[in-house]
Amino acid sequence: MIRDIVSSVFLLGGALFCLLGAIGLVRLPDLPARLQAATKPQTLGLLFVLIGTAVRLEFENAATLVLVILFQAVTAPVISQIVARSAYRTGAVDTDLLVIDELTARVAEQDGK
Amino acid sequence: MKRWPQILWLTVVWVLLWGYVTPTIVVGGLVVALLVTVLFPLPVLNRLPFRPWPLLRLGAFLVADLFRSGWDVAVETLRYGPKSRAGIVAVPLLTDSERVITLIAGAAALTPGSFVLQIDRAGCVLYVYALGLRSAADAEQTRAHMRRLQERVVSAVGVDGVTPTDGRSPAEAT
Repeated sequence: MIRDIVSSVFLLGGALFCLLGAIGLVRLPDLPARLQAATKPQTLGLLFVLIGTAVRLEFENAATLVLVILFQAVTAPVISQIVARSAYRTGAVDTDLLVIDELTARVAEQDGK
Repeated sequence: MKRWPQILWLTVVWVLLWGYVTPTIVVGGLVVALLVTVLFPLPVLNRLPFRPWPLLRLGAFLVADLFRSGWDVAVETLRYGPKSRAGIVAVPLLTDSERVITLIAGAAALTPGSFVLQIDRAGCVLYVYALGLRSAADAEQTRAHMRRLQERVVSAVGVDGVTPTDGRSPAEAT
């Protein structure tokens, strides 16, 4: 009974964060911001869903889930960084949305030399 | 045999994938791990120092960061949506070990609303993209947070002797 409640709270919480990530993809203005939505709430959502699942499983099966979250946490940053970097270099970042941009200043300075 | 940690880790992954422990699976995992290590050798590097307590603290810090960043990005989405703002902040690096920088960049991707956009190795500067910046104070906060994160990573796995921890501002560093 308690297990069911704990598990459903985590599953629903996880689903909610995944939904927020999806909403972020639609609502946020440019690529790096959307990448944030695709990685941050999504990873947290996945973590919650896995915890919720682990509560319902026997210990042996739950151990495999640890691998899932581990690989997710290790690979998501790498991908987001590579995509963001290419986005910046190809000009897909909307610089009007940046409050502060110390990289463009630096690049301009180097080109000037 | 300097590669034993890799073999051990691959065996653990194998056993976790099966989900239960029997002698056959452990031996099978060892065989597969050996094969993978021999067929696809990675360069043997000096091992990074292993300090359990700072490592544990770094882990806790990162989990807390993951929760906060999930929350922060969600709030930014719902509150500002298309009108949300961001910024790119220069952060001076606290180490010049390439592997430690890699770890810092990976860890930075878990911090609230930000990831590393560019690494300037020569100038020892990280360029961090952060979502939800609105003022210069926010930028300073991001810088301070990145600094704390770097200190945690360096204290956990930093190599002795290559951590020039000085308080240069990014303007002076460039």
